[in-house]
Amino acid sequence: MSDYLIELIDITKTFPGVRALDNVSMKVISGEVHALVGENGAGKSTLIKILAGVFRPDGNKSVIKIAGEEVELNNPIIAQECGVSVIYQEFNLLPYLSVTENIFLGRLPTKKSGIIDWKKANSNASEILLSLNLDIDPRTFLKDLSVAQKQIVEIGKALSLNARIIIMDEPSAVLAGEELNYLFEVIRSLKERGITVVYISHRLDEIFEIADRATVLKDGKLVGTLKIQDAEKSELIEMMIGRTLDETFPKSSNGTGKKILEVKNISTKNLINNVSFILHKGEVLGIAGLVGSGKTELARALFGVDSLTNGQIIIDEKTVKNIDPKKAVELGIGLVPEDRKSQGLVLKLSIKKNITLPVLKFFTKIGLIKKNLEIKYVKDHMQALEIKAPGINTVVQQLSGGNQQKVVVAKWLGTNPNVFILDEPTRGIDVGTKKEMYNIIRDLAEDGAGVIMMSSELLEILGMSDRILVMHQGEIAGELKSDEASEERILRLAIGE
Amino acid sequence: METSSKNKRKKFSPSINQIKVFILEHGIYVFLVLLILLSSILSPSFFKTDNILNMLRSAAVLGIVSIGQTYVIIGGGADLSVGATMGTAAILISEITKGENNNVAIGIIACLLVGVFIGLINGLLITKRNMPPLVVSLGMSILVEGARLAYTQGIISGRPAPFIRELAKIHGLFPVPLIIMVVLFAIASIILNHSPYGRKLFAVGGNPEAAKYSGIKVDRTVIISYMISGFFAALAGLVLSGYIGYGDRYLGTGFNLDSVAATIVGGTSFEGGMGGIGGTIVGVAIMTILFNITLMLGLPINVQLIVKGLIIIAAVLMYSIMQTSALGSKSNGANLLISRIKSKVKVRKEAK
Repeated sequence: MSDYLIELIDITKTFPGVRALDNVSMKVISGEVHALVGENGAGKSTLIKILAGVFRPDGNKSVIKIAGEEVELNNPIIAQECGVSVIYQEFNLLPYLSVTENIFLGRLPTKKSGIIDWKKANSNASEILLSLNLDIDPRTFLKDLSVAQKQIVEIGKALSLNARIIIMDEPSAVLAGEELNYLFEVIRSLKERGITVVYISHRLDEIFEIADRATVLKDGKLVGTLKIQDAEKSELIEMMIGRTLDETFPKSSNGTGKKILEVKNISTKNLINNVSFILHKGEVLGIAGLVGSGKTELARALFGVDSLTNGQIIIDEKTVKNIDPKKAVELGIGLVPEDRKSQGLVLKLSIKKNITLPVLKFFTKIGLIKKNLEIKYVKDHMQALEIKAPGINTVVQQLSGGNQQKVVVAKWLGTNPNVFILDEPTRGIDVGTKKEMYNIIRDLAEDGAGVIMMSSELLEILGMSDRILVMHQGEIAGELKSDEASEERILRLAIGE
Repeated sequence: METSSKNKRKKFSPSINQIKVFILEHGIYVFLVLLILLSSILSPSFFKTDNILNMLRSAAVLGIVSIGQTYVIIGGGADLSVGATMGTAAILISEITKGENNNVAIGIIACLLVGVFIGLINGLLITKRNMPPLVVSLGMSILVEGARLAYTQGIISGRPAPFIRELAKIHGLFPVPLIIMVVLFAIASIILNHSPYGRKLFAVGGNPEAAKYSGIKVDRTVIISYMISGFFAALAGLVLSGYIGYGDRYLGTGFNLDSVAATIVGGTSFEGGMGGIGGTIVGVAIMTILFNITLMLGLPINVQLIVKGLIIIAAVLMYSIMQTSALGSKSNGANLLISRIKSKVKVRKEAK
């Protein structure tokens, strides 16, 4: 009998085109709070989903043991039967049902007659919630609770399912201040009860406050597991980021040119608050920040998806009024959005039809699209970006992530954009294509565009940017020149220190 | 040269799998041919010139409405107000012209404008207020019918102008409505496949979010599709009133669902972003032949409805099978379920 409650041994998981996990092992001691850390795309979520029975690891080498016994977690129900409960960021709760119904969904106690015993159900729910320091009427609709309270309800639901292991997927991303302290109290009380907690986060302060041990993942590989008591923050940061900042990043050869875009005190209803900055021709401006810091929201504001409540956008010395996406395209702004599948591409349509979507008027003569011009345009751009596909009429759904992303970039090449905004340009694409993408981004800048690159990958931000803005809660927390920037300085600004 | 001849030989001896794929991909054409063969066997008079011309004439009306419906469905919506628009156009033309040719131009323009206007209101409500298309257009349909009833008091509105009657006549071997329909089909098909608007419509129907991020005015694109639908519905109403010969408020009944059915049977996806006018032609042909053959055989209306319902469900089933097989046969729902059940049983056994 080992001391470990959970043993994940040599877990490998491949998705089409991406190796999400490569021989990762993690062992969790019974009754500890175990932090799982790493940058975005490190493989944390995939590992958790394997433990939750959502994904199955590849091959036969991967072994999962719970309490020393080998198990096959083929679906979430089996995982639950093994005592594993996951609390995801987006809750699996039903807003228009009461707290009681949410906790005992499908398992409400009944009287002998078969009618639901509400009295018993409500008192049971109350009891569970009180044990978690939450004193609310269990008949409240879930939608009327705060985010923190909803989290507690999820934990209560897990407890009612006799969970021995509770996994929390970045619970702090949606909490602040007092709420966070409250969550920590709850986690400590879980620990006292002997429940094992796996806590996912990339906020170092939290990990040092709550965790006993931490496992660090990077690029789908295990970096190591360490005891928090004996560890230094800088050590953990180094493990998270790694020291592989090498020549994979093409450096700029010419200096930056004249001012192309100026943003003055812009705010939106969607998080952005009083943001100002300047972008020059030929530079790559990196925008760093944690999930929820407002990077994507800034991209949306610049492209006119969210309307401004305040401030000005000035392009080429001209103030732009009431910007919307169509106007943005006409003004020479190109956007590679954060989520290529839902925002960047029409998956059902061909490569050709996706690439020419923003530039149809180039080929339109007397109201009709000139076939030959369009085909030539598409072929040229596919070649320029080395998009690998059977043909121009291949449906983009069938392409790998990297090639899909190149199609999104190709959409904007023909517009000769002055301002090129790329939001998480390398998310979910393989290492080789990543490198190509970096070259493409650098080329865009060399060709005279001002490039804004939002990324949660520090390595990428550091490697690519000529200048770095760090965002925190919708505001610019600070600006760093590329020679003064370091992982730690960025992280400190990003967590609001 | 050698390789190409080899390829040719390959094509002539297809495997069972290839035949399966062919039938699935071109199922609707195969079905149309089978239906025509079956009809000619069941009813010897099916292939008589009169019957063919009659069928083509009635196909024209459904065809014209279905063009508009196809646009709307590709854009991710559905228009259940086309029937009401048809009826309104039929009554309006009779009211305005009163059986004379004097005001016919004004009448036609008025009818088309009313159709476009109804589409505009539909589109505005659906896009700007983000309301579900089925509910909006259905509500609109009831509203329009009510307004019409209030205006006509339920009395039949006399005859349309002789010119309108000409629209529905058969001259020798050329039914005028068919010619109108063919011209409209051609124009609609060119706009859909070769104009920027058509491209935008497919993009908006396939993924409105991505369309927006490409600088496309999503709302405008959708609203225009409803206006097109209203236009074609009004036009179909005019042709139908010429065919029937008077403005009756029941004109247009049944065309809401028939036009949706013809479009869907023709392969346009109800989810939007996929489909085309060509398929809709086939869908219209199938619906018309089904109606015709039940009439020819003297079958009661219930049989006709049952067959129609079965055809629609069978067509949609076929397309859904096509989609699952396109996603890879091994990852379909059924196999996944089986593997899950198997693994669960395994765990239970091990637990014992």
